[in-house]
Amino acid sequence: MKRSLLFFATLVAVAVNIPLASAETTLEKISRTGALTIGTRTGSPPFAFVNKNNEWVGFSIDLVEQAILPVIAKKAGKEIKVEKKESTPQTRIPLLTSNAVDLIAETMTDTQSRRDSVDFSLTFFATGAQFLVKKGSPIKGLQSIAGRRVAAQQGSTNARIIRDQVPNAKLLEFPDQPAAFQALVQGQVQAYTNDGIQLAGLKAKAPKPDEWVVVGEFFSYEPYGMAMRKNDSDFRQIVNVGLMDAIASGKYFELYDKWFGPKSDVPYPLAPETKRFLQMQVVPK
Amino acid sequence: MTYRFDWSVLWSGQSGLWLLHGLVTTIEISVIAWLLAVILGIVSGALRTVSFVPLRWLASAYVEFFRNVPLLVWMFFWYFAVPPLLPQPLQDWLFDHGAEFWAGFVALGVYHGARLSEVIRSGIQSIPKTQFEAAVSTGLTVAQAYRLIIIPIALRLIIPPATNESLNLIKNSSVALTIGVAELTFQTRQIETYTAKAFEALTAGTLIYLLLCLTIATVMSQLEKRFAIPGMIAKRQVGEF
Repeated sequence: MKRSLLFFATLVAVAVNIPLASAETTLEKISRTGALTIGTRTGSPPFAFVNKNNEWVGFSIDLVEQAILPVIAKKAGKEIKVEKKESTPQTRIPLLTSNAVDLIAETMTDTQSRRDSVDFSLTFFATGAQFLVKKGSPIKGLQSIAGRRVAAQQGSTNARIIRDQVPNAKLLEFPDQPAAFQALVQGQVQAYTNDGIQLAGLKAKAPKPDEWVVVGEFFSYEPYGMAMRKNDSDFRQIVNVGLMDAIASGKYFELYDKWFGPKSDVPYPLAPETKRFLQMQVVPK
Repeated sequence: MTYRFDWSVLWSGQSGLWLLHGLVTTIEISVIAWLLAVILGIVSGALRTVSFVPLRWLASAYVEFFRNVPLLVWMFFWYFAVPPLLPQPLQDWLFDHGAEFWAGFVALGVYHGARLSEVIRSGIQSIPKTQFEAAVSTGLTVAQAYRLIIIPIALRLIIPPATNESLNLIKNSSVALTIGVAELTFQTRQIETYTAKAFEALTAGTLIYLLLCLTIATVMSQLEKRFAIPGMIAKRQVGEF
């Protein structure tokens, strides 16, 4: 028994360490393979989702393809294509550290504890947590969820805040958005919490959008960033330059208008202070 | 570029407590689901060997239906599809009292009952037919022959494959996290959420499952030795593994 345990431990150590011990930088890997592999979502409209025509699109994906990719291609001196892989809150950090993907471009909130494991680009979107409820629900925000059944997405920062601030709310966590929304539709839970913009996206995609309302003040601050492997500042510089150029040139706001403008599926006007915040992240050339 | 391991996340903060809660939930749901599976397995396994055709057909229908659909689908079925069929007050009561746990329990128990049924059936069929005939000729009814002779012998014969199924049940209880049951795998993800240390959390979860299953396997192999029937199943020899 002891010997087989030891064997198992060795096996785990080997399996965990081999993919981690790569000496190649991200840029070298991209230029060798000719592909930038991103981890993104299939069910988080409008940031990253599969649309009606079965295309994998979204705001985060557009930022990668139209703002960051040209800078990478210029640096590599050749054409680079984007490959997309599904990532979830649980898999995204392991995907990065095991070199399976090079960049996480979805709806990942930049936090201090995550910065211990990965590096983040500058903030490309800022939102906060709210609640999605049935029209006419007595739930109006964080102050009225005590004792009620609330769904959250597992691995999200909002679940953590509810557990800390309203410990007597009955918090149920689901691995993905569709399961949580299904629980809300059927009454297993009375509210579903997630970042406000994602709830707006979910509501827009629901069969009867009018039946649902997004309520409450932001009870958290959720700055979205793109995540990369730690300590690879050359790659991070390129990602940031891509985002800064897009903000400075107005390309970012064009894309924003495409996905969140008045004619989009999820109208979500850009607050003047958010716009100013984005612009102030752009450092001089 | 390399990942920096920080094992202290497992004992700093609430991680240890979460892992313990997760382990307790895993054991709770596994034990009651196992009991349900054993009852369903014995009944349907026995019914599959009786001569009365409609009962045999009923048991076969149960087994084939439940074991041939993925467990994940059963989780969603019991959690999302069944509650709306119940009366409203009962629904509300369930939702307030951990509906996800009960749905997970039924899904696991019924699914593994169907799998265990096959193990028990093969155990019964491995008993020479003359045993049954001898039992009936002493004046026992068919039900008594099953209850007093056939099933007790079968249960002693099937300890190794039944152990296998039971360990599978424990490991499959992790599927219940898809409907929000806060079991062990769920808690390892929780630690990942708070600390962003996925490898450490997963390793801790792996070791706990391993220890739990190894303990059960050891106990069951003792049971197997203790209850081996001389002449029907050979006692394990020393050195044979």
